[in-house]
Amino acid sequence: MLLEIENLHASVEGKPILKGVSLAIAPGEVHAIMGPNGSGKSTLAFVLAGREGYEVTEGSIRFGDEDLLAMEPEERARAGLFLAMQYPVEIPGVGNLYFLRQALNAIRKARGLEEISAAEFMRKAREEARRLGIGEDLLKRDLNVGFSGGEKKRNEILQMALLEPRLAVLDETDSGLDIDALRTVAEGVNRMRRPDRAFLVITHYQRLLEYIVPDVVHVMVDGRIRRTGGPELARELEERGYEGFLGRLAA
Amino acid sequence: MAVVASRRRRVDPDPSFFALHRAIAPQLWGGAEWAALRTRALERFRALGIPTRRDESWKFTDVVRIVNRPMRPAEPRPLPFAEVRPYLLGGSEAVRLVFLDGRLVPEWSRTEGLPAGAIVESLADTARTRPEALARALEALDDGRAFTALNAAFLDGGAWIEIPEGVALAAPLQLLFLSAAREEAVMAHPRCILRVGRNAALTLLETHAGLGEGAVLANVVLQLALGEGARLDHDRIARAPRGHALLVKLDGSLGAGARYRQTTVVVGGALVRNEHEVRIEGPEAECLLSGVAMPRAGEQVDTLVRLHHCAGGSHSDQHFKSIVEDRGHHAFAGKIIVHRGALKTNAYQKNDNLLLGADAEVDTKPELEIYADDVKCSHGATCGELDASALFYLRARGLDPETARALLVYAFAEEVIARLTEPSARAFAERMLLERLGSDFVSPESELLAEAR
Ligand SMILES: Nc1ncnc2c1ncn2[C@@H]1O[C@H](COP(=O)(O)OP(=O)(O)OP(=O)(O)O)[C@@H](O)[C@H]1O
Ligand SMILES: [Mg+2]
Repeated sequence: MLLEIENLHASVEGKPILKGVSLAIAPGEVHAIMGPNGSGKSTLAFVLAGREGYEVTEGSIRFGDEDLLAMEPEERARAGLFLAMQYPVEIPGVGNLYFLRQALNAIRKARGLEEISAAEFMRKAREEARRLGIGEDLLKRDLNVGFSGGEKKRNEILQMALLEPRLAVLDETDSGLDIDALRTVAEGVNRMRRPDRAFLVITHYQRLLEYIVPDVVHVMVDGRIRRTGGPELARELEERGYEGFLGRLAA
Repeated sequence: MAVVASRRRRVDPDPSFFALHRAIAPQLWGGAEWAALRTRALERFRALGIPTRRDESWKFTDVVRIVNRPMRPAEPRPLPFAEVRPYLLGGSEAVRLVFLDGRLVPEWSRTEGLPAGAIVESLADTARTRPEALARALEALDDGRAFTALNAAFLDGGAWIEIPEGVALAAPLQLLFLSAAREEAVMAHPRCILRVGRNAALTLLETHAGLGEGAVLANVVLQLALGEGARLDHDRIARAPRGHALLVKLDGSLGAGARYRQTTVVVGGALVRNEHEVRIEGPEAECLLSGVAMPRAGEQVDTLVRLHHCAGGSHSDQHFKSIVEDRGHHAFAGKIIVHRGALKTNAYQKNDNLLLGADAEVDTKPELEIYADDVKCSHGATCGELDASALFYLRARGLDPETARALLVYAFAEEVIARLTEPSARAFAERMLLERLGSDFVSPESELLAEAR
């Protein structure tokens, strides 16, 4: 297994949010998590990435053969975990390209690779940006500052493409994207699919999962995975809505 | 009795100031009228006394502790080029006056290549060639400030600078003030008077640097006058070692349509205090002031601005920042005064402070006084720590926490540093910033420089 979450409980500001999540992802797989607002999907993503203030009270997470919870956020990133955030942060004064290169070099260094040359970096960054429909001006701007919602999401995917993670967690990367952008972003993800790389895709919409076809779909409700199935589960949710779905569960 | 003493707004200067004046004033340049001027100023200093924290404009600063003690002018000493070189800014064509301990050092100064009519000379020369003009200029500045009076009382080193009408100096003018620590406490009181004539233009690099740690007071007064349509870009950098106190009073006036742009970067010092009193006297003038100070443990930086809009249709914008580490202290007091009749004034002021420790101290006091109609004014201050979500974002992309922090601090300071107009001044300030951030940090700027090579 690449990622193994067992009986994970986590609280934010003393309030229990995750109440026993178990989930295992093998290399090469794409898993999707769906679930109503406030059910704990982003919380799970932040716990995976190691954000401060998200307190794990019970359970374990293994990433490859490492104890993920014992690692600092940057160590997780260097070990190959990537989180595309639901709300990417704007950082004035830090250039997008400069930041990308710093991040890439930090990760390469941890993997025992040499720093990438400026020319090679620029070639790669431009190439990926072009494929994702990110203009040169966006590359040169301050990180996410003044980017539209869709531009921010594409920029997250650009970072993912350059950092080449082993596991990418995409938190609602499809929200706020127009139809063409959705396809572009999905293609960006599909290009990266490899037998040794996995994805955990958090989304509200079946539409994304038509482009990025998942192996497994989980439904999270109130901090727990309530059901796990194949792609058909997403279609079922789309038809019935959470209420109908939950009603049936309760019955 | 102790309580009474601490309530006083000023205390008597240490007797050593007067004893010293008796001993050394007779040896300073000029005849009887200059001696009289110095003595009048000393009496003014005596009457004003040294301000305590009871004095509104010294509320956040204990200057008595720093300056009210025996100090003397430093003995002249040689100044090897190696000590000057790091601070030479403005390129090989720059006009330059180098002061050591308040005295002009002709050896490293450079006034060649000045256009016809331009004057760059030492005050001692001005006292001979234009005594009335100098006396008038000195007496015109009576700001009720003890240190201005003290500066006049020990009037010795300094410069008179005049850029004539319509002349734009191609190369920058650097005023480099070096202060070297000695065994005993030393003080210097340089004064510079600078006039940028009608439609004339100048880039001024004002650099203060301390050599060695120790008790040093540099008490500087600058008088700037911008004529109608004149333009002055003023880059200011101060780097003060431990124990150094640097007090700079800048008194400026702007004529109609003049454009004054100042950027200040300050690192270090027991106390670095930049006081500004700027009067916009003619309509349609523009005054842009910005600065960043980086005090760390045991250091204090004061930024004081009194900006007068006396004529209408003018624009002023102030943006002062500070990055304060644990037990560092920044005090900002900024006042915009829009006088009667200064219609259609735009005046903005912002003070943003970044606190990098639980014991970082910031005092901020933005003020507005408006006596005219139809004006647009705003002011505001912020104090905050590094943005936790930004830090997390950077770390989640693999940056270690030190680099992530340094990058965010860098970005905060860079906004101001980027406004320095002269490239060598910008590069110098950049290096100062990087020193503060630690050696491992690679800035975008230095990365670009490395690649350009
Ligand atoms: N910092 C916080 N302080 C207090 N409560 C929080 C905090 N962060 C999250 N929560 C709460 O935790 C719960 C789960 O939030 P989370 O963001 O994980 O939901 P989500 O499933 O991602 O929802 P959405 O689909 O709307 O993005 C919510 O009730 C939310 O209000
Ligand atoms: Mg969410």
